[in-house]
Amino acid sequence: MTRPIVTAALLFGAAAWAADKPTALDERTKALVEGQLPDDPARPLVQGKCMLCHTGEYLTQQRLTEGQWQKTVEKMRKFGTPATDEEAKTIVGYLARNWTPDLPPPRLVRAPLPRGSIPGK
Amino acid sequence: MTLNRRRFLQSSLAGAAAAACWLKVPGLARAKGSEELIRMSERPLNYESVRSTFTTRITPVGRFYLRNHFDIPKVDIATWRLKVRGLAEKPLSLSLADLERMPQAKVEAVLQCAGNGRGLFTPQVPGVQWRFGAMGNAEWTGVRLKDVLALAGPKQDAAFVQLQGAEKPAMSATPKFIRAIPLAKAIHPDTLLALKMNGKPLALNRGSPARLVLPGWVGDDWVRALVDVEIRSDEPKTFYYDTAYRFPVAPGAPGAAIPADQMKPMTTINVKSLLGSLKDGDVLPPGVHPLAGVAFSGEAGIDRVELSFDAGKSWTAADLDGPATPYGFRVFRHAWKAEPGSYEVACRATDSNGATQPETPVWNPGGYLFNAFDRVKVEVRS
Repeated sequence: MTRPIVTAALLFGAAAWAADKPTALDERTKALVEGQLPDDPARPLVQGKCMLCHTGEYLTQQRLTEGQWQKTVEKMRKFGTPATDEEAKTIVGYLARNWTPDLPPPRLVRAPLPRGSIPGK
Repeated sequence: MTLNRRRFLQSSLAGAAAAACWLKVPGLARAKGSEELIRMSERPLNYESVRSTFTTRITPVGRFYLRNHFDIPKVDIATWRLKVRGLAEKPLSLSLADLERMPQAKVEAVLQCAGNGRGLFTPQVPGVQWRFGAMGNAEWTGVRLKDVLALAGPKQDAAFVQLQGAEKPAMSATPKFIRAIPLAKAIHPDTLLALKMNGKPLALNRGSPARLVLPGWVGDDWVRALVDVEIRSDEPKTFYYDTAYRFPVAPGAPGAAIPADQMKPMTTINVKSLLGSLKDGDVLPPGVHPLAGVAFSGEAGIDRVELSFDAGKSWTAADLDGPATPYGFRVFRHAWKAEPGSYEVACRATDSNGATQPETPVWNPGGYLFNAFDRVKVEVRS
């Protein structure tokens, strides 16, 4: 009697793990691929600092190593992004945790032409 | 004092030859389709063209890519002035009306962002992840830059022309977008200060009221809403010239750092082609499918385009439209007898200098000048 229960529990557990893990990973990957900024204590910092000059797609389309993110954030600080060393470290950590080289390519969308791209429009 | 007479005579003759070549070209087919682009970033405006755009020789303005480092400047055309200064006998301040009164020239040329294809490099590099659509071919009309420079009278030691547009970065610490070109390219008769694109005045986002057109050269020097031309004896030490937009003198290992003294400014566009009539994931019925795409190469015409339907194992010559133009797109076509199966369709071009697109691009830290042959995966089934 005990054996089937243990087996069932193990199977259920394995099924739950199998169902849970990939789904959770897929949801997260899907959100990143679609250009979302995952909820994280660092997110407001990124929104407040990086987006002074550009929209989020500028970073969500990148697939970089931590070293590349580090260099990019340093370059942006030289370009005037007002971030302390501690803030820069937090920003690099957030970017490097999410937009990694193995992440699938960004899902890019078609959009109407911005105003001013055709004479008179 | 100024540019010598022989230099001007040579450039004028070359200009006449180029104009004659342009006039011989038959009517220009224009792509039809919705005015849509693929958004890479909303601010600054960075949008690439949809792949299906690339089946005609001239790219319509409404389907032409947009590339910006900064926000679009608000230029008041009534008060806009182009300053020409530096090593000049007679510094100038020209209005749009002044430029419109000067002789107008026309040239057809591909504008391509140096980073077109950056998103296809392995290992990946930072920057806008352009895939294939940061390019287009237009008819540009305007004043020859050499005519403007002649009015200013470059002094004997003039060697470079520094260019700056009206755009300004959001942060004062961000370097301004300043570029420079050698005087020889500046006085080339096909180098224009364009006022029109495909026959109409430049739109705000296209560099109104005047932008540089450097046929055969990558887009970083095609400065928009030009306001300042400085004639110099040396190259500027500014970020967007001295550090950015540089390409390795010799190829290195992918991903490896390249010393700054082994990098140089980019000049001409390398040979490239793109299939416009197919895209990844297309499912086609068996039968004959007319394929079309475009090919181009800096200052050389296109001699040959080949297609492969077996991932590059064998190649078939495509038909080429019209005569080769020095700087524009050349459309290629092929009637593909498609049988059921999975295909990787590839195209590669060869220019009049004998340069052919490689299977693997030259990796570089800026992700510039990607020109590996184009590949599209499709299915043919009933």
